[in-house]
Amino acid sequence: MTVGPVAEDSFGVFGTTAVLLVTDSAALGEARAIADRELAAVDRAASRFRADSELTALNQAGGAARPVSPLFADLIAAALRAARLTDGAVDPTCAAALAALGYDRDFEQVRAGTPAAPSAWRAGPVPGWRSVELDTAGQARLRDGALLDLGATAKAWAADRCAELIAGQVGGGVLVSLGGDIAVAGTAPDGGWRVRVTDDHAAGPDVPGPTVAITDGGLATSSITVRAWHSGGQPVHHIIDPATGGPARTCWRTVSVAAGTCVDANTASTAAIVRGEAAPGWLAGAGLPARLVRPDGTAVTTAGWPAEPAAA
Amino acid sequence: MPPDDLRSAAARRDEGVRKVSALTWRAGAAGVICSAIIAVAFGQHAETAAAKSGSAPGTIAVPNQPPAPGPGAGHVTSGGS
Repeated sequence: MTVGPVAEDSFGVFGTTAVLLVTDSAALGEARAIADRELAAVDRAASRFRADSELTALNQAGGAARPVSPLFADLIAAALRAARLTDGAVDPTCAAALAALGYDRDFEQVRAGTPAAPSAWRAGPVPGWRSVELDTAGQARLRDGALLDLGATAKAWAADRCAELIAGQVGGGVLVSLGGDIAVAGTAPDGGWRVRVTDDHAAGPDVPGPTVAITDGGLATSSITVRAWHSGGQPVHHIIDPATGGPARTCWRTVSVAAGTCVDANTASTAAIVRGEAAPGWLAGAGLPARLVRPDGTAVTTAGWPAEPAAA
Repeated sequence: MPPDDLRSAAARRDEGVRKVSALTWRAGAAGVICSAIIAVAFGQHAETAAAKSGSAPGTIAVPNQPPAPGPGAGHVTSGGS
């Protein structure tokens, strides 16, 4: 069953743009209140740029065990699961590597060229996700000098959580997009939720790229073209290859994946950037519909992603 | 030292070694059991967290329906951020 028109709200969060769509326009205000509450809680738990976040406290604990809230424990568990399912291609211990590249504050400041703080990080493999301990007593510990960055999973996890809660509490259909990481829940509108897929989530509606329709789960896009800057005179981006500790040297400009949840979609799209030429085979083997775009704009699709007309 | 005393000392030494070995083995076994309990508990926590997010614990979840071609403009845009 599907329904008609949708109501929309958009707002800034996590240094990017959130879009909230619901099929019941009367429910938009309540849906926004739920999203605001949940997103604020995730930010307090997992922001790398807040001095008062749980993540900052854990990173500054010097390897000592610290108590963590159930929400933060869930966020860490989601990151560890992503690492395990990608054989470490998506690793939450990339914080020091990112900071060494200058990404140690809100990205708008990085883009503006504000000088980075001195870093002791030396290029090389990141400590690795197995350095992160999380126990059932509500404690976490970082070994081997590991520092957490949950950027690869927290935003998508938050989109899933908001969509699930809003659909459960308000009813109807809901789409939550956090910087282009999209989760849907409830009953989709007629024809499904239409998603324009492109390099930059903030691009206008006329930007080149296909439109696809989804009815469940999530869709996420990872790209090396948007969160990119210069470090030491070199162009760099935010997707770290855990094996080198540097920006992934990849053959893909942008990868979009549809999955059962947004966090799974973003896990797969990020891993595909890191895996490079091996990514289409890995995605197809996992049965994940995906669209991978090379720097010249040519696209490869997998596992039921709609075929695109050949370029003229 | 008389031969009887030598035999008695050797017997006491052997008995002590047996006791230490038994204690060492029990401590090792207890460590293995505790490690297994912690591993199981951690695994349960991770799977509980995964279940909360709607994801299967052992695999990346595929959508119920793959994306279909969408007509016209999108409700929303997915791209890098």
